[in-house]
Amino acid sequence: MLSRRNAEDWMVDSIIHVLLILVIITTAYPFYYVFMMSFNAGTDSTIGGLYLWPRVLTLDNYAKFFSDANWFKALEVTVARTIIGAFLGVVFTLMMAYGLSAKDLVFRRLYFTLVIIAMYFSGGLIPYYVVLRSLHLLNTFSVYVIPTMLNTFFLLIAISFFRDLPAELRESAHIDGAGEVTIFSRIMIPVSKPLIATMGLFIGVGQWNSWVDSAYFVQNNDLRTLTYRMIEIINSSKVPANSVAYAAGASTVTGYSLELTALVVSVAPILCVYPFLQKYFVHGIMLGSVKE
Amino acid sequence: MERNFIQENAAQAGPAIHDQASIWKRFKKQRTLQVFVLLGIVYLLIFSYTPMFGILMAFKQYTIVTGIRGIFTSPWAGLQNFREFFTDYRFGQIVRNTLALSILKVVFTFPLPILFAIMLNELRNMVFKRFVQTVSYLPHFISWVVVVGLSYSFFSSEVGIVNRLLMGIGIIGKPLTILTDPNSFWGFAVGSAAWKEMGWWAIIFLAAIAGINPSLYEAAQIDGAGRLARIRHITLPGIKGTVVVVLILTVGSILGGGLVGSNFEQSLLLGNDINNPTSEIVQTYAFKVGLSQGRFSFAAAIDLIQSIISVTLVFLSNSIAKRVSGSSLF
Repeated sequence: MLSRRNAEDWMVDSIIHVLLILVIITTAYPFYYVFMMSFNAGTDSTIGGLYLWPRVLTLDNYAKFFSDANWFKALEVTVARTIIGAFLGVVFTLMMAYGLSAKDLVFRRLYFTLVIIAMYFSGGLIPYYVVLRSLHLLNTFSVYVIPTMLNTFFLLIAISFFRDLPAELRESAHIDGAGEVTIFSRIMIPVSKPLIATMGLFIGVGQWNSWVDSAYFVQNNDLRTLTYRMIEIINSSKVPANSVAYAAGASTVTGYSLELTALVVSVAPILCVYPFLQKYFVHGIMLGSVKE
Repeated sequence: MERNFIQENAAQAGPAIHDQASIWKRFKKQRTLQVFVLLGIVYLLIFSYTPMFGILMAFKQYTIVTGIRGIFTSPWAGLQNFREFFTDYRFGQIVRNTLALSILKVVFTFPLPILFAIMLNELRNMVFKRFVQTVSYLPHFISWVVVVGLSYSFFSSEVGIVNRLLMGIGIIGKPLTILTDPNSFWGFAVGSAAWKEMGWWAIIFLAAIAGINPSLYEAAQIDGAGRLARIRHITLPGIKGTVVVVLILTVGSILGGGLVGSNFEQSLLLGNDINNPTSEIVQTYAFKVGLSQGRFSFAAAIDLIQSIISVTLVFLSNSIAKRVSGSSLF
């Protein structure tokens, strides 16, 4: 390309840079603000005027958060559903995908039709709720991980992944006397590591963020998730009195400062896995949206 | 993608398959694989197909104590549940909100990822480009609950930093009630959806731009086309196909919130008693009357109306996409 820059180039570049810097600020600042405020004494935060760094630096909010039995329990449940949910989701989806990737599978056409209908139609929330209730899944930890075990989006991606593997891989294992279970666990799982990483991360993020099930399928207080507790505290801090003083004691923690801490705790793990996600998702979104 | 699978399949359903005995023999030979698949099929029957039969509920006087069997055994109600919804005093308001939110989101948030992708493409500094992209995807991975939490930190009239800043420098005398004002709900919902998903959806348009032949830009430059002219005459026509397909597919999911995600989660989480006249949508209403008030049949009927409209839109937009661009969802 020619590299002579004229006045128009200069102007276009400037406008674009200004706009993009605005995008960065509006996206990143809310996260930074919450992070900064979670390290400021709650009672001091109510005075206002904090924009860039804490005025009364403290770890009280975090101490309060992790010593609060409700929050800690919620964190445990959320971590558990993320790990177990991602594990079950990956294994179950891969198993079905491996079966469906066999080109000579009897009834394959029927199976595919059933999968695709299930992808695009649903009975809606109310009948779904009735099904969960009849299976006695309501009010159990299982309701978080069992109904989400099969991910049809990743099922289709995994099928084409297995299809693209060289057929010799399976055939030679067959000749060596390996059964399908062995081939699946010893050969297919190890070669699909990148796929497993992507699936695990996406399903994990979904589990971590999910809240509708915690809010409506569970009444047991010990099974509430982090996001559910967050909704509770957001709703309660809508009442002004609550946002001023959290406890009558000597604590500097307020309902609002605790909410900010909870926000940080619930975003931090995503920020940690995010760099690993990034290299995969561009490919994923292309596969998922426009199929050409 | 799916269509290919089915076609490949059809091609394989050759003459040999007509032999019943050989089907059974092959089935037994591949029994492990069949078990793998059948586990998944049973799972779909339970969690996807049973709820589909549950739609019957909309035409019944269903009570939750009768469980699954009650879907079939409870007395018929005809169209009573539907009639009740259409004559509900809130019907007009709820339908208006549902349509308004969906349409506003498409109109205001669809062009943003395209503009954003074009701007990113104009950047020469790769480090800066990657940085902007990385930051812009981030909100996509954050739950709506966190977005609502952030919204309160920024816009609530008590603790919101925006109100405090504006009052501090004397621009406003009393706090703006953005989160509890029926007049600002639509704007706020559209704005926060755009904030959350703009960067994510730009990926697809960036990929489309990357597919444009670079020699077109060089030729245009030699012919004396400036930056804006090149954007207008090369970049935009180059991604037209993708834009059309994505737009049409968006229309298919318009009731759910289109490109920029969940109308349902937004309305449920950002909605409150005060902004309810503009924040209540069909899905949240069905949800509330169904699960909170226990009127399962009524809620199922509302759900069904919404599903029928959505599925119709999906098929309609899919067939338009097929005709316009030759590529489609199924």
